[in-house]
Amino acid sequence: MEIVVCVKPVPEAESRLRANASGTAPDTDGVKFVLAGYDESAVEQALLLRQAVPGSKVHAVSLGPPSRTDEVLRAALALGSDSATAAESDAPPMADPIATARGLATAIAARGPCDLLLFGKQAGDDEEGLVGGATAEALGLPFVGFVVDLRFDAAASRLRFRRSVERGEESWESPLPLAVGLQQAWNDPRTATLPAILRSRKAPLARHAAGPGAAVAAASVAERFALPPPRQGAKMIAYRDPQQAASQLVRLLREEAKVFP
Amino acid sequence: MVDFSLSPEAESLRDLARKFARTEMAPHAAECDRTPRFPEEIYRKAHALGLMNLNVPSEYGGSGLGLFDQCLIVEELAYACAGMTTSIIANCLALEPILLGGTPEQRSRFLSPFCASYQLASFCLTEPSGGSDAGALRTRARRDGDAYVLDGEKCFITNAPHAGLYTVFATVDPTLRHRGVTAFVVPRSAEGITPGKDEEKMGHRASSTSTVRFDKVRVPVSDRLLADGEGFGLAMRTLDQTRTPIGALATGIGQAALDHAARYALKRETFGKPIAEHQAIQIKLANMTQAVRAARLLTWQAAWTIDRGEKGTLESSVAKCFASDAALLVADEAIQTFGGYGYMKEYPVEKLLRDAKLTQIYEGANEIQRTVIARELLRGYA
Amino acid sequence: MSDVVLVVGEADGDGLAEPTREAVTVARRLAGSQGTVLGFVAGRGASGRAAGFAAIGVGQVVVADDPRWDAAPPAALARPVAAAASNAGAFAVVVGGSSFGRDLVGGVAVALGASAANGVTEAERIPEGVRVRRPVFGGRATEERRLEGGRAVLSVRPHAFPAAEGPPTSLRPEPAPNAEPAPAQLAPARTAVAAASRGAGPGLADAAIVVSGGRGLRSPEGFRLVEELAEALGAAVGASRAVTDAGWRPTSMQVGQTGRTVSPQLYIAVGISGAIQHLVGMVSSRVIVAINSDPSAPIFRVADYGLAGDLFELVPALTAEVRRVRGS
Repeated sequence: MEIVVCVKPVPEAESRLRANASGTAPDTDGVKFVLAGYDESAVEQALLLRQAVPGSKVHAVSLGPPSRTDEVLRAALALGSDSATAAESDAPPMADPIATARGLATAIAARGPCDLLLFGKQAGDDEEGLVGGATAEALGLPFVGFVVDLRFDAAASRLRFRRSVERGEESWESPLPLAVGLQQAWNDPRTATLPAILRSRKAPLARHAAGPGAAVAAASVAERFALPPPRQGAKMIAYRDPQQAASQLVRLLREEAKVFP
Repeated sequence: MVDFSLSPEAESLRDLARKFARTEMAPHAAECDRTPRFPEEIYRKAHALGLMNLNVPSEYGGSGLGLFDQCLIVEELAYACAGMTTSIIANCLALEPILLGGTPEQRSRFLSPFCASYQLASFCLTEPSGGSDAGALRTRARRDGDAYVLDGEKCFITNAPHAGLYTVFATVDPTLRHRGVTAFVVPRSAEGITPGKDEEKMGHRASSTSTVRFDKVRVPVSDRLLADGEGFGLAMRTLDQTRTPIGALATGIGQAALDHAARYALKRETFGKPIAEHQAIQIKLANMTQAVRAARLLTWQAAWTIDRGEKGTLESSVAKCFASDAALLVADEAIQTFGGYGYMKEYPVEKLLRDAKLTQIYEGANEIQRTVIARELLRGYA
Repeated sequence: MSDVVLVVGEADGDGLAEPTREAVTVARRLAGSQGTVLGFVAGRGASGRAAGFAAIGVGQVVVADDPRWDAAPPAALARPVAAAASNAGAFAVVVGGSSFGRDLVGGVAVALGASAANGVTEAERIPEGVRVRRPVFGGRATEERRLEGGRAVLSVRPHAFPAAEGPPTSLRPEPAPNAEPAPAQLAPARTAVAAASRGAGPGLADAAIVVSGGRGLRSPEGFRLVEELAEALGAAVGASRAVTDAGWRPTSMQVGQTGRTVSPQLYIAVGISGAIQHLVGMVSSRVIVAINSDPSAPIFRVADYGLAGDLFELVPALTAEVRRVRGS
């Protein structure tokens, strides 16, 4: 099974979040870009499937300028991916997700066969969760999101998985090829070992110009990026006894916050 | 021109160490210190990630890092727990004599199985009658046919109760002083080896330290490193390699103390404002910052010098001596910043002071380092 | 300039799901008083479901009455929805922010040559297209984006808008234009659905109220306090990572960076200290209540109301009070 995992560089979780000078996007000055947490889980899922299905290969693909993609592709290699492809684009970090998807789709199509296309639930920055479905559509692949517990039934040559949604848990099956958006980090991603990190530094990265697919007329333009004023901190409720605390809280939720049913 | 920025590769190694230190080591640091406990499960994980035999070349299954990269890793580990770090890097010390003095056959025979699975090794030089005066060893090695027979006692040996392999320095003739010192590689399975009970230590309590007795331990000639009388030089060259990471370890302690102090100073209020706004505390934090940054730069410079193939005796002694003194000062000031809370075991800074103290003593006491520094310095004026 | 907005209806039993009604609210704002909101429903019995649109005043509904859509993944509807939007000359396609809607948006945008956004909390018509606002970085920031190119596809963040109400109108169904997905896109099939168990209350993702418990509850038994309070409130139950890691409750209940992101009207955090890993999953809730024994816990910095004290006393008292005022 040829498994392609799309990985996105996102600002390191600890990095300070603030708007850039024009107030249109997060400030990336001095910010380190790392493999998105959900994508790390997607790589782990791919590696587990490779282990379960002999002869499988895992390919990581990332879109953006080399200054951001290369480190996350090397991280994917260090975790155990067999190859890595950079879809080169000068798109800003929170670029239009549909353009990103078109760019990824061209790179994936050019890279080679793809039986299973994996996406993390969403990125830690823009949280769109759009790229998976959009990339799949651009490639004419079926797409299923919110997937958990993805397995390959070799005898039936079908993927079986569950989909964790609002009204319960659905069971699904699908032949290959399939594009999947994973629901969450349920699989406790492995940590790359030091020798694997050293090897990943020397591994070649395939490069692919994201091409004209990335530039389409319909695009979204970031206009404003703002941090909400910091919350003032909780209004602490002073009380004599638990009963009084409870009744006071319910009264505030009803009369002041107006959220109590 | 000199360049202080880290390569992406160096950064990724540091990130691995940081992640391991903060997720695997830090949560257990207080408990292992208090109990005390030797957290073998953490050391096994460190081995599995390749964080243990940093200096062993990859052809033997080690990580094959230069000293600079080792220092980046050691600082991160020590930031979480200096005691665990000492146990994790003890293999580097114990295996270095094999790397420096072993024949290709010896290196392959001892190092490959060692790296393949989790095992600990101990460097056995210090004796009860004297630490810094390594020429005055009393442990005897008597030639008997195609073997040597080892008799004597070593003390303050890191990881000794848990080690599978010992690199032992013994003398073939005490009257020859350091010219009699000879090095051997001795597996734990050899008959006549008795590690003592764990010492109760002031700090580094997640590490294990004990004596090791050698009673008529037979060691085949094939397990001797270099020739008779070449052990002292080998021990010194080993310590030249491993001294600098102690600077990094001390820097990690110092950085942890500084971070604790700065965060606390911003949170704790006296006289109606955070103590970080009082100049007395600001001066402390400024001094601590200088000490930690200078310690790191001296350590980096020493590692860089040695990685370039130079001996770096002066540089490594300066780094180890300065960084360990700095760690003690910074930990002390961190406690002072915390005030009464700092003295309480419930808070993390008193452990840092206890841990910092050892870095002034082990791998060549700072008195010896200063002697070396003065000797190297004056040589340039003579 | 087109003034048609297409809303894709999500089925809930025989009717329309709540998120679709929220999408209709947004669609009406975008279309303006002179514009047209057009419904879209697919699946077996879709004609009946179209009545759900008419009941809230959306009479014109594109109906794809075809059983193939019932077992197919939501994304398989991308091309039919795009064709319907194209046919009607819609300038925007709006869907609810459920898993159904979020899975659909990207594909529709590509099929339509449109731009897109998920989880919007504001949407306004501008000359260039549609301007949206949405929380990003786990609610730590918001972004405003202009969706250009004449067509925009968006999903609406749950609970950010009121569900649309009547008055009812007469249904004017029209057949869906003939647009087939790629054959492979119909291949994945849903084989079974295990409905969330009755006692479990509403799902975390779309509950209006969420009560979450953390390490402060001390044991799996202690966690029951949270479930009792949730039951009294008709709320969904969440948990911090400490709770799911310890195995007190299943991972599916985890709220936070590695679990679910929720943004209910009311979020009650019980015995949760407020690690950043948890905060990013709930900080965009409208009102946050924290109950914790440690008055210096970071959770109080993001909460609106705080109760510091013994939660083994406070929570049962709160449960009792809620039952009392709700008269049950």
